[in-house]
Amino acid sequence: MNTNGKSRVSRKKWVVGVISVPVLVGAWWAFRPEKLFINERVTEAAPFAANSGPQPIYTGKLEGKAHATNGRATIYESTEGKRYLRLSDLTTTNGPDVHVVLARAEDKALQQEIVGGNLDGLELGSLKGNKGDQNYDLPTTADLNQYQAVVIYCERFHAIFGVARLEKF
Amino acid sequence: MVGKIRAGLAFAALAAAFTFSSPVHAQDDMKKDSMKHDQMMQDDKMMRETKTLFTGKFHGKVHKTEGRATVYQEADGKPVLRLKDFKTSNGPDVHVVLVAANAGDAKSLKSDTERIELGKLKGNEGDQNYEIPAGTDLTRFGAVLIYCERFNAVFGVATLDKF
Repeated sequence: MNTNGKSRVSRKKWVVGVISVPVLVGAWWAFRPEKLFINERVTEAAPFAANSGPQPIYTGKLEGKAHATNGRATIYESTEGKRYLRLSDLTTTNGPDVHVVLARAEDKALQQEIVGGNLDGLELGSLKGNKGDQNYDLPTTADLNQYQAVVIYCERFHAIFGVARLEKF
Repeated sequence: MVGKIRAGLAFAALAAAFTFSSPVHAQDDMKKDSMKHDQMMQDDKMMRETKTLFTGKFHGKVHKTEGRATVYQEADGKPVLRLKDFKTSNGPDVHVVLVAANAGDAKSLKSDTERIELGKLKGNEGDQNYEIPAGTDLTRFGAVLIYCERFNAVFGVATLDKF
């Protein structure tokens, strides 16, 4: 009697064991919990041969403020370290005394359409045209960690036509 | 006398037309700084024919996901998706999938959502390339998903914009 009871218990244990193993394996396969702690790092080269041409280092989409503005602002850097801003597919309103300015992304003035006082930033020159693709040289001293916003700015009326916030390319 | 008045009126009309029309022409001051004409870009153009078509930043959905997705077109015309500075959670059965931009907002995919499979995610960190099937209309499939097929979970999404 005593031995019978023991064997029933051990049979139950055995059955539980046999069932739980595939269940555990299944659960492991489904969730792969170890992946939470294991990273797989890949470092593939760019899908084209290394080249000596200027590379994009920052880019952002232009968004309209005081006037509808579209397009992309990208900062390129050549291997010699020369950097420039390229506006591509730009469309904005034509206007008087419109400039391209690098500003601090966190500058509160960028949230408004009209700047009270002067816009604090780095002047890149007069806007060459209100449509199309165009390049602007960056001063060698321009600190792009500080200036992360490209502003199309009408100096006469202190109006922000559009802003592009630059993000690492 | 009548002739003089007529001439005067005609002149005034012409002057008015010129004043009104010239600003209209000036409005679309087309500016095209060609990459070729730019000294700095000239070398670039000759060195490679690879074009950058689209780009977008990753945002996390079910899991934190960051980095940039960019579609290049190689010299032979083949489009390639490149994930750069990429980081997401590791997980089982994770794939890279293209869907329409408006389908990329959700945390899961409907079973009838049209999608283009680009392959298994090669790694949850780092830079990696994926071939895009020829003929894929990237204006229709404008969102890159990091998608866990087993649990129908969108880890992260990048919406592609013209570069």
